[in-house]
Amino acid sequence: MLAVCAKEPGLDSKVDERFGRAEYYVIFDEAKNMPQSIENKAKFEAGGAGGTAVRLLNENGVDVLLAPELGPKAMDAIKAFEMTVYRYTEQKTVRETIEDYKAGKLSKIDTSTTPSKHGLRKV
Amino acid sequence: MRIAILSGKGGTGKTTVATNLLSVSDNGVLIDTDVEEPNSHLFLKPQIHHSEAIKKRYPIVDETLCNLCGACGDFCRFNAILPAKKQVLVFKELCHDCGGCQMVCPQGAIQYKERSIGMVHTGKTDTNQVMHYGELIVGEISGVPIIERLHQITKDEDLVFIDSPPGTACSTVAAIESADYAIIVAEPTPFGVSDMKMVVELLRNLHIPMGVVVNKDGLGDDEIYRYCETESVHILGRIPFKKEYARHYAGGTLISKVDEEYRKNLTGILAQVIGRKEGV
Repeated sequence: MLAVCAKEPGLDSKVDERFGRAEYYVIFDEAKNMPQSIENKAKFEAGGAGGTAVRLLNENGVDVLLAPELGPKAMDAIKAFEMTVYRYTEQKTVRETIEDYKAGKLSKIDTSTTPSKHGLRKV
Repeated sequence: MRIAILSGKGGTGKTTVATNLLSVSDNGVLIDTDVEEPNSHLFLKPQIHHSEAIKKRYPIVDETLCNLCGACGDFCRFNAILPAKKQVLVFKELCHDCGGCQMVCPQGAIQYKERSIGMVHTGKTDTNQVMHYGELIVGEISGVPIIERLHQITKDEDLVFIDSPPGTACSTVAAIESADYAIIVAEPTPFGVSDMKMVVELLRNLHIPMGVVVNKDGLGDDEIYRYCETESVHILGRIPFKKEYARHYAGGTLISKVDEEYRKNLTGILAQVIGRKEGV
């Protein structure tokens, strides 16, 4: 199943600019063509939201994630849960972003796109 | 007696008041519990004769015993342990070393390993006064174990000044919870008063008696005095806003060593705290 980071529930919501602290995930079952929206319980975590969000998605049967960015801990978790991530860069709706994914317009990523939010930034 | 010096807002003069109180006391010891940014040693200039590393544990999962049941991940409130498909991920810098994951693991698959999160340094000033300060490694999530160690090594001292961290969060609570008395160093500015209100609330929750030292008196407005009157918070003293004080401070000098009026002021504040009657 496919998940997209979303600001609100439903296919017509705008996608969220964050992964670990996204408001919602819209989970889309391609076989049944059925969307289901879940609230991201990890979004208020002080640290480690990304890893816990990946676990939440795994519990909901997600194996493909469409996300705008991923930190290093979230990427470690993605690999450990054997999920695949495709990155979107435009602020479209969830529906449009899924269309882009189906049309092969999103690129697959396997390294984190943002630095750790923990500790000092390397300059 | 353990006297905590705290403020809520940063930069109101906690360290200035704490180090000068130590300086005017006969038998005091100071601990700098602002382990994220300790600075009392810059004024006390101790000769460090002892340093120790403070350790914290983090879990190691034995994959031959683990059956990926997920109990550790369900228990952890800090997202430090994450049971995945074929392995358990540990984010050690997020671990608070509570021991919970080991307790809930039905397979006995969790052991702990130690790592350093910071240091405690001990030294003596040129007048033979003892001070200890903690130093947290940048990026570590919590300095509480270092603060607890600072308390432990001074638990038998008669008079301890606790230079506390700013704010009213975990590290401040760890710094002040064993105090017999709290001196709030506040400045008469809107931010100073706003943060001080949170400190008063915190101290009331912890049942720690308190008094206020108004630092940089003459700045800002008089809201602080109205607040203290309404809330019956005792004012121990006022330290005027003076350029000479700022100059001494900026040069790393203990003001009480070079300014007689300041010294008398701080001696008076300390005498009130040490000799205070119940209910003051």
